[in-house]
Amino acid sequence: MNTAVVVTGLGVIAPHGDDAPLMFEALMRAESAVKPIFPDLAKPAAAALVSFDETRWFTKLQLAGVDRVSQLAVAAADLAMRDAGVAGDVDPERLGVFAGCGMGGAAALEAAYRGGARVPPLTIPAFMPNAPASHVAMRQRAQGPVLTYSMACASSAVAIAEAAKAVQRGEVDVAIAGGSEALIVPGVVLAWQAMQTLASFAPDAAATAVRPFATDRSGFALGEGAAFVVLESEARARQRGARMYAQLSGWGLSTDATHLTKPDAPGQARALKAALQRADLAPSDVGYCNAHGTATRVGDVVERDALASVWGAKIDDLRVSSTKALHGHLLGGAGALEAVITVLALHHRQLPPSAHCNMIDPACSLNLVLEPNAAAPQLEAAISNSFAFGGSNSVLLFKRV
Amino acid sequence: MSSLKELQDLIHEKFGIDPATLDPHASMREKGLDSLALVEFIFAVEDRFGITISDEESNVDTLAELAARVDKVRAAQVK
Repeated sequence: MNTAVVVTGLGVIAPHGDDAPLMFEALMRAESAVKPIFPDLAKPAAAALVSFDETRWFTKLQLAGVDRVSQLAVAAADLAMRDAGVAGDVDPERLGVFAGCGMGGAAALEAAYRGGARVPPLTIPAFMPNAPASHVAMRQRAQGPVLTYSMACASSAVAIAEAAKAVQRGEVDVAIAGGSEALIVPGVVLAWQAMQTLASFAPDAAATAVRPFATDRSGFALGEGAAFVVLESEARARQRGARMYAQLSGWGLSTDATHLTKPDAPGQARALKAALQRADLAPSDVGYCNAHGTATRVGDVVERDALASVWGAKIDDLRVSSTKALHGHLLGGAGALEAVITVLALHHRQLPPSAHCNMIDPACSLNLVLEPNAAAPQLEAAISNSFAFGGSNSVLLFKRV
Repeated sequence: MSSLKELQDLIHEKFGIDPATLDPHASMREKGLDSLALVEFIFAVEDRFGITISDEESNVDTLAELAARVDKVRAAQVK
């Protein structure tokens, strides 16, 4: 029999703050963290930024060569470890870090290019994409496998799946798994604008710019932040009397292998089926889906088709929301943040809304959570979808313990 | 005139190291300034004083040594 893997710690440095329960409450109230940024850019831009006091986590000397993307990761991972109460209770060689990151230290690169003065000598170690994982390892004294996963928007969901495998195989006793992204700098925002996937918005309407599954959707807003979970075997968690938020009972990884940026419903469906199969559940056992839901014209329809192809006639029994409307798209950090939200939804049996959807696009016909404060007293299992550029699909399936 | 006081202020400003805790004759590496952080600090020194410290001159271990090098460069500039 397979070892059950459970979530015993949650940590976020998110656009809705650094307290996971309070963040969840803000999402339940449909509070948007998306705001206008960089007024000097030719085209209006909006994003969900993190309010972060780095001096809570680092001395000035420790900050030399540590990009924001690593700072956020260190803080979120530390919060998760404290929440799990596991520090000092694990052999360092049996502690692993599994971190997703799409880009790495964007601010360090931007400063090197646009700083005007000299390039700081620590620019390379600051921007390398595996820096966040290594900084987390140093802070938590994790001497087991410390690995970085980079599959764009699926990065941190894949990291969590890979961490669960390592726990299940007994390669580590405890895994710190999640991811971070911090690329809201002018150069990168211009690149995303050129990609034509960001939401357009009227002046003063940035907060409601992202409208997943709505007829009038026009794309996403960038977000920044980090989220980590602590994973361990259920047996270990029970032995030490740890709080168990949920069981990570299934995961499905698949690849479209069709197109770099165009999503593919059959590819996504393969990941959904794989997650269900690993958890040994039927679609009707799953009551909630935290959708990838980027609010792009193409993406939302494809995700709906993938879900419908797997759920079939039961598709309307599945409640769906995309919380990206409220916290933006954290890209490499998205899968982990949305996994935390999914775990809390399951834990509290409450469903965060799919905000700003005044009229559902008929092509996205889903049982969206449109009402505020939605309770789900029967909820037993939930999934979090992450579908990435590159054709990488990841589905995490959580079950109540 | 020694630049030591100014360097102490700058290292406090940049890295938060209190002058009272850093013996000018002690190794800066032992205070946690590895070679790359030291290069960052020397860049900051150059920017602050508008001077250039050559690569050979920048091979220092203590704040007092660095102050002596800075003094030498600044003295040469004045001439």
